[in-house]
Amino acid sequence: MKTASPVSPPWSSIRVGDVLPELDIPITPSVIVAGAIASRDFMPVHHDRDFAQAQGAPDIFMNILTSNGIVSRFVTDWSGPETMIRRIAIRLGVPALPGMSLRLSGEVRATERRDGEGWIEIELRGTTPIGDHVTGRVELTLPLDADAASTPPATSSP
Amino acid sequence: MGAADPTPAPDPVNVPMVRHWVDALDDRNPVYLDEEAATRTRFGGLIAPFAMLQTWTMSRPRIQGIAERGGAPDSYGENVISVLDEAGYTATRATDSELEFLRALRPGDRLASKAVLESVSDEKRTALGTGFFVTWVTTYTDARGEVVGRQRFRVLKFKPSTPEEVA
Repeated sequence: MKTASPVSPPWSSIRVGDVLPELDIPITPSVIVAGAIASRDFMPVHHDRDFAQAQGAPDIFMNILTSNGIVSRFVTDWSGPETMIRRIAIRLGVPALPGMSLRLSGEVRATERRDGEGWIEIELRGTTPIGDHVTGRVELTLPLDADAASTPPATSSP
Repeated sequence: MGAADPTPAPDPVNVPMVRHWVDALDDRNPVYLDEEAATRTRFGGLIAPFAMLQTWTMSRPRIQGIAERGGAPDSYGENVISVLDEAGYTATRATDSELEFLRALRPGDRLASKAVLESVSDEKRTALGTGFFVTWVTTYTDARGEVVGRQRFRVLKFKPSTPEEVA
Protein backbone atom coordinates (compact mmCIF):
# COMPACT_ATOMS: atom_id res chain seq x y z
CA MET A 1 0.00 0.00 0.00
CA LYS A 2 1.25 3.41 -1.00
CA THR A 3 1.73 5.94 1.79
CA ALA A 4 2.77 9.56 2.01
CA SER A 5 6.49 10.23 1.97
CA PRO A 6 7.58 11.31 5.50
CA VAL A 7 10.40 13.46 4.05
CA SER A 8 10.86 15.34 0.81
CA PRO A 9 13.48 14.17 -1.71
CA PRO A 10 16.39 16.61 -2.21
CA TRP A 11 15.43 18.92 -5.06
CA SER A 12 18.82 18.39 -6.71
CA SER A 13 18.06 14.65 -7.06
CA ILE A 14 14.98 15.24 -9.22
CA ARG A 15 15.34 14.94 -12.98
CA VAL A 16 13.13 15.65 -15.96
CA GLY A 17 11.48 12.36 -16.89
CA ASP A 18 11.31 11.05 -13.31
CA VAL A 19 8.08 9.10 -12.93
CA LEU A 20 5.92 9.51 -9.83
CA PRO A 21 4.66 6.37 -8.03
CA GLU A 22 1.17 5.57 -9.28
CA LEU A 23 -1.81 6.05 -7.00
CA ASP A 24 -4.86 3.79 -7.33
CA ILE A 25 -8.15 4.92 -5.83
CA PRO A 26 -11.21 2.66 -6.02
CA ILE A 27 -14.15 5.06 -6.47
CA THR A 28 -17.09 4.25 -4.20
CA PRO A 29 -20.15 6.28 -3.19
CA SER A 30 -18.38 6.79 0.17
CA VAL A 31 -15.28 8.26 -1.50
CA ILE A 32 -17.44 10.63 -3.57
CA VAL A 33 -19.68 11.75 -0.70
CA ALA A 34 -16.85 12.08 1.84
CA GLY A 35 -14.87 14.23 -0.61
CA ALA A 36 -17.86 16.39 -1.51
CA ILE A 37 -18.80 17.12 2.09
CA ALA A 38 -15.19 17.60 3.28
CA SER A 39 -14.82 20.19 0.52
CA ARG A 40 -18.18 21.73 1.53
CA ASP A 41 -19.78 21.06 -1.83
CA PHE A 42 -23.44 20.19 -1.21
CA MET A 43 -24.50 19.99 -4.88
CA PRO A 44 -26.91 17.02 -4.94
CA VAL A 45 -25.21 15.48 -8.01
CA HIS A 46 -22.41 14.48 -5.61
CA HIS A 47 -24.61 12.70 -3.03
CA ASP A 48 -28.13 12.07 -4.48
CA ARG A 49 -28.31 9.46 -7.24
CA ASP A 50 -31.91 10.30 -8.24
CA PHE A 51 -30.92 13.94 -8.69
CA ALA A 52 -27.77 13.01 -10.64
CA GLN A 53 -29.77 10.78 -12.98
CA ALA A 54 -32.35 13.52 -13.56
CA GLN A 55 -29.42 15.64 -14.77
CA GLY A 56 -28.38 12.96 -17.25
CA ALA A 57 -25.58 11.35 -15.25
CA PRO A 58 -25.55 7.57 -14.67
CA ASP A 59 -24.89 7.97 -10.93
CA ILE A 60 -23.46 10.44 -8.39
CA PHE A 61 -20.03 11.62 -9.51
CA MET A 62 -16.91 13.08 -7.93
CA ASN A 63 -16.78 16.88 -7.51
CA ILE A 64 -13.91 18.86 -8.94
CA LEU A 65 -12.66 19.93 -5.51
CA THR A 66 -12.07 16.27 -4.66
CA SER A 67 -10.34 15.75 -8.02
CA ASN A 68 -8.04 18.67 -7.10
CA GLY A 69 -7.49 17.10 -3.68
CA ILE A 70 -6.56 13.74 -5.18
CA VAL A 71 -4.16 15.42 -7.63
CA SER A 72 -2.57 17.31 -4.74
CA ARG A 73 -2.28 14.12 -2.67
CA PHE A 74 -0.79 12.19 -5.59
CA VAL A 75 1.96 14.79 -5.95
CA THR A 76 2.76 15.36 -2.27
CA ASP A 77 2.77 11.60 -1.53
CA TRP A 78 5.92 11.77 -3.65
CA SER A 79 7.32 15.25 -2.95
CA GLY A 80 6.74 15.21 0.82
CA PRO A 81 6.06 17.73 3.56
CA GLU A 82 8.40 20.49 2.28
CA THR A 83 6.20 20.88 -0.81
CA MET A 84 4.84 24.31 -1.60
CA ILE A 85 2.30 23.79 -4.36
CA ARG A 86 2.28 26.82 -6.67
CA ARG A 87 -0.23 25.81 -9.29
CA ILE A 88 -2.75 23.05 -10.03
CA ALA A 89 -4.31 23.27 -13.50
CA ILE A 90 -6.72 20.47 -14.38
CA ARG A 91 -9.25 19.63 -17.06
CA LEU A 92 -11.97 17.10 -16.36
CA GLY A 93 -12.89 14.41 -18.86
CA VAL A 94 -15.16 11.49 -18.01
CA PRO A 95 -16.85 11.68 -14.62
CA ALA A 96 -15.46 9.58 -11.76
CA LEU A 97 -18.35 7.23 -10.91
CA PRO A 98 -18.91 4.56 -8.24
CA GLY A 99 -17.39 1.23 -9.24
CA MET A 100 -14.59 2.77 -11.29
CA SER A 101 -10.92 2.54 -10.45
CA LEU A 102 -8.99 5.79 -10.76
CA ARG A 103 -5.25 5.55 -11.46
CA LEU A 104 -3.04 8.62 -11.10
CA SER A 105 0.22 8.72 -13.03
CA GLY A 106 2.61 11.53 -13.76
CA GLU A 107 6.14 12.60 -14.56
CA VAL A 108 8.49 15.51 -14.12
CA ARG A 109 8.40 17.82 -17.16
CA ALA A 110 10.73 20.59 -15.98
CA THR A 111 12.91 21.68 -13.10
CA GLU A 112 14.30 25.15 -12.52
CA ARG A 113 16.11 27.08 -9.82
CA ARG A 114 14.17 30.30 -9.43
CA ASP A 115 13.72 32.89 -6.67
CA GLY A 116 15.73 30.85 -4.15
CA GLU A 117 13.60 27.74 -4.54
CA GLY A 118 13.67 24.56 -6.59
CA TRP A 119 10.71 24.50 -9.00
CA ILE A 120 9.28 21.30 -10.41
CA GLU A 121 6.60 20.95 -13.06
CA ILE A 122 4.64 17.72 -13.24
CA GLU A 123 2.31 16.52 -15.97
CA LEU A 124 -0.27 14.04 -14.76
CA ARG A 125 -3.44 12.19 -15.56
CA GLY A 126 -6.04 10.23 -13.67
CA THR A 127 -7.46 7.44 -15.82
CA THR A 128 -10.52 5.23 -15.49
CA PRO A 129 -11.46 2.18 -17.58
CA ILE A 130 -13.56 4.46 -19.85
CA GLY A 131 -11.03 7.27 -20.29
CA ASP A 132 -9.23 10.11 -18.55
CA HIS A 133 -11.10 11.61 -15.62
CA VAL A 134 -8.51 14.34 -15.12
CA THR A 135 -5.47 15.65 -16.97
CA GLY A 136 -3.29 18.54 -15.95
CA ARG A 137 -0.14 20.10 -14.62
CA VAL A 138 1.12 20.88 -11.14
CA GLU A 139 3.91 23.30 -10.32
CA LEU A 140 5.55 23.01 -6.91
CA THR A 141 8.68 24.11 -5.14
CA LEU A 142 11.03 22.41 -2.70
CA PRO A 143 13.75 24.16 -0.69
CA LEU A 144 17.17 24.21 -2.34
CA ASP A 145 19.46 21.61 -0.77
CA ALA A 146 23.25 21.70 -0.33
CA ASP A 147 23.89 20.03 -3.69
CA ALA A 148 21.53 22.39 -5.47
CA ALA A 149 23.40 25.37 -4.01
CA SER A 150 26.63 24.25 -5.70
CA THR A 151 25.09 23.82 -9.16
CA PRO A 152 24.38 26.62 -11.59
CA PRO A 153 20.81 27.90 -11.87
CA ALA A 154 18.27 26.79 -14.50
CA THR A 155 19.77 23.31 -14.68
CA SER A 156 17.29 21.37 -16.76
CA SER A 157 14.37 23.50 -17.81
CA PRO A 158 13.59 22.72 -21.44
CA MET B 1 -20.41 37.86 -7.56
CA GLY B 2 -20.02 41.36 -8.83
CA ALA B 3 -20.22 42.61 -5.27
CA ALA B 4 -17.86 45.45 -4.45
CA ASP B 5 -16.35 43.77 -1.41
CA PRO B 6 -14.89 40.27 -1.10
CA THR B 7 -17.13 37.76 0.70
CA PRO B 8 -15.62 36.56 4.00
CA ALA B 9 -15.22 32.81 4.53
CA PRO B 10 -17.67 31.34 7.07
CA ASP B 11 -14.78 30.11 9.24
CA PRO B 12 -11.06 30.79 9.54
CA VAL B 13 -8.66 28.12 8.30
CA ASN B 14 -8.94 25.48 11.01
CA VAL B 15 -7.61 22.06 12.00
CA PRO B 16 -10.97 20.25 12.38
CA MET B 17 -11.89 20.95 8.75
CA VAL B 18 -8.38 19.97 7.69
CA ARG B 19 -8.73 16.67 9.58
CA HIS B 20 -12.05 16.02 7.86
CA TRP B 21 -10.39 16.66 4.46
CA VAL B 22 -7.31 14.55 5.27
CA ASP B 23 -9.53 11.60 6.21
CA ALA B 24 -11.84 11.99 3.21
CA LEU B 25 -8.89 12.16 0.79
CA ASP B 26 -6.69 9.78 2.80
CA ASP B 27 -3.92 12.37 2.38
CA ARG B 28 -1.24 11.59 4.96
CA ASN B 29 1.18 14.46 4.28
CA PRO B 30 2.32 15.05 7.91
CA VAL B 31 2.53 18.84 7.47
CA TYR B 32 -1.27 19.12 7.76
CA LEU B 33 -1.86 17.50 11.19
CA ASP B 34 1.44 16.41 12.81
CA GLU B 35 2.65 19.48 14.75
CA GLU B 36 6.08 18.02 15.46
CA ALA B 37 6.74 17.00 11.86
CA ALA B 38 5.36 20.31 10.57
CA THR B 39 7.65 22.30 12.88
CA ARG B 40 10.68 20.60 11.32
CA THR B 41 9.68 21.73 7.79
CA ARG B 42 10.43 25.11 6.23
CA PHE B 43 6.84 26.11 7.10
CA GLY B 44 7.69 25.91 10.81
CA GLY B 45 4.21 24.66 11.72
CA LEU B 46 0.95 23.25 10.45
CA ILE B 47 -0.38 24.37 7.08
CA ALA B 48 -3.67 23.64 5.34
CA PRO B 49 -3.86 21.37 2.28
CA PHE B 50 -3.30 23.64 -0.72
CA ALA B 51 -6.24 22.24 -2.65
CA MET B 52 -8.57 23.32 0.18
CA LEU B 53 -8.31 26.95 -0.97
CA GLN B 54 -11.70 26.86 -2.68
CA THR B 55 -13.25 24.98 0.26
CA TRP B 56 -12.65 27.72 2.83
CA THR B 57 -14.90 30.17 1.07
CA MET B 58 -17.68 27.82 -0.09
CA SER B 59 -21.11 29.23 0.80
CA ARG B 60 -23.02 27.85 3.77
CA PRO B 61 -25.76 25.70 2.27
CA ARG B 62 -29.48 25.74 3.01
CA ILE B 63 -30.03 21.99 2.71
CA GLN B 64 -33.82 22.19 2.59
CA GLY B 65 -34.80 22.79 -1.01
CA ILE B 66 -31.27 22.47 -2.41
CA ALA B 67 -32.41 19.98 -5.08
CA GLU B 68 -35.29 22.25 -6.11
CA ARG B 69 -32.79 25.09 -6.47
CA GLY B 70 -30.76 22.94 -8.85
CA GLY B 71 -28.00 22.54 -6.28
CA ALA B 72 -27.48 26.21 -5.51
CA PRO B 73 -26.36 26.36 -1.86
CA ASP B 74 -28.59 29.39 -1.39
CA SER B 75 -30.20 31.89 -3.68
CA TYR B 76 -27.52 33.18 -6.03
CA GLY B 77 -29.67 36.21 -6.79
CA GLU B 78 -29.89 37.48 -10.33
CA ASN B 79 -26.81 36.37 -12.25
CA VAL B 80 -25.71 34.36 -15.25
CA ILE B 81 -26.38 31.03 -13.51
CA SER B 82 -29.94 31.87 -12.51
CA VAL B 83 -30.62 33.25 -16.00
CA LEU B 84 -29.34 30.01 -17.59
CA ASP B 85 -31.31 27.90 -15.07
CA GLU B 86 -34.51 29.71 -15.97
CA ALA B 87 -33.79 29.21 -19.68
CA GLY B 88 -33.67 25.43 -19.10
CA TYR B 89 -29.88 24.98 -18.88
CA THR B 90 -30.30 23.51 -15.42
CA ALA B 91 -27.46 20.99 -15.25
CA THR B 92 -23.93 21.94 -14.18
CA ARG B 93 -20.63 20.16 -14.80
CA ALA B 94 -17.28 21.61 -13.75
CA THR B 95 -14.80 21.27 -16.62
CA ASP B 96 -11.61 23.18 -15.76
CA SER B 97 -9.87 24.55 -12.69
CA GLU B 98 -6.65 26.48 -12.50
CA LEU B 99 -5.51 27.15 -8.94
CA GLU B 100 -2.58 29.41 -8.11
CA PHE B 101 -1.10 29.59 -4.61
CA LEU B 102 0.95 32.57 -3.44
CA ARG B 103 1.54 31.28 0.09
CA ALA B 104 0.65 28.37 2.33
CA LEU B 105 -2.37 28.91 4.60
CA ARG B 106 -2.15 28.35 8.33
CA PRO B 107 -4.79 27.66 10.98
CA GLY B 108 -6.27 31.03 11.95
CA ASP B 109 -6.00 32.62 8.50
CA ARG B 110 -9.20 34.53 7.74
CA LEU B 111 -9.94 34.43 4.03
CA ALA B 112 -12.29 36.29 1.77
CA SER B 113 -13.00 35.72 -1.90
CA LYS B 114 -14.23 37.73 -4.80
CA ALA B 115 -15.39 36.08 -8.03
CA VAL B 116 -15.53 37.96 -11.30
CA LEU B 117 -17.31 36.59 -14.35
CA GLU B 118 -14.65 36.27 -17.05
CA SER B 119 -16.57 34.89 -20.01
CA VAL B 120 -19.67 33.10 -21.27
CA SER B 121 -19.19 31.09 -24.46
CA ASP B 122 -21.54 30.89 -27.40
CA GLU B 123 -24.03 28.05 -27.19
CA LYS B 124 -22.17 24.74 -27.75
CA ARG B 125 -23.29 21.22 -28.53
CA THR B 126 -21.47 18.79 -26.24
CA ALA B 127 -21.68 15.08 -25.45
CA LEU B 128 -23.70 16.01 -22.36
CA GLY B 129 -26.15 18.30 -24.10
CA THR B 130 -26.39 21.83 -25.43
CA GLY B 131 -25.07 24.54 -23.19
CA PHE B 132 -22.72 27.39 -22.33
CA PHE B 133 -19.25 27.38 -20.78
CA VAL B 134 -19.14 29.94 -17.98
CA THR B 135 -15.77 31.04 -16.57
CA TRP B 136 -15.03 32.93 -13.36
CA VAL B 137 -11.82 34.17 -11.84
CA THR B 138 -11.79 34.20 -8.06
CA THR B 139 -9.25 36.10 -5.99
CA TYR B 140 -8.60 34.95 -2.42
CA THR B 141 -7.31 37.42 0.15
CA ASP B 142 -6.25 37.22 3.79
CA ALA B 143 -7.19 39.42 6.75
CA ARG B 144 -4.68 42.07 5.63
CA GLY B 145 -6.20 42.12 2.17
CA GLU B 146 -3.17 40.46 0.60
CA VAL B 147 -3.76 37.99 -2.21
CA VAL B 148 -3.04 34.39 -1.14
CA GLY B 149 -4.35 32.63 -4.25
CA ARG B 150 -6.40 32.77 -7.41
CA GLN B 151 -8.62 30.38 -9.31
CA ARG B 152 -9.96 30.26 -12.82
CA PHE B 153 -13.01 27.99 -12.80
CA ARG B 154 -15.13 26.86 -15.73
CA VAL B 155 -18.45 25.05 -15.73
CA LEU B 156 -20.73 23.83 -18.49
CA LYS B 157 -24.35 24.84 -17.89
CA PHE B 158 -26.43 22.57 -20.09
CA LYS B 159 -29.85 21.13 -20.91
CA PRO B 160 -29.54 17.58 -19.60
CA SER B 161 -30.09 14.70 -21.99
CA THR B 162 -32.14 11.79 -20.66
CA PRO B 163 -29.99 9.18 -18.86
CA GLU B 164 -30.56 6.70 -21.71
CA GLU B 165 -28.79 9.02 -24.13
CA VAL B 166 -25.67 9.21 -21.99
CA ALA B 167 -22.93 6.84 -23.03
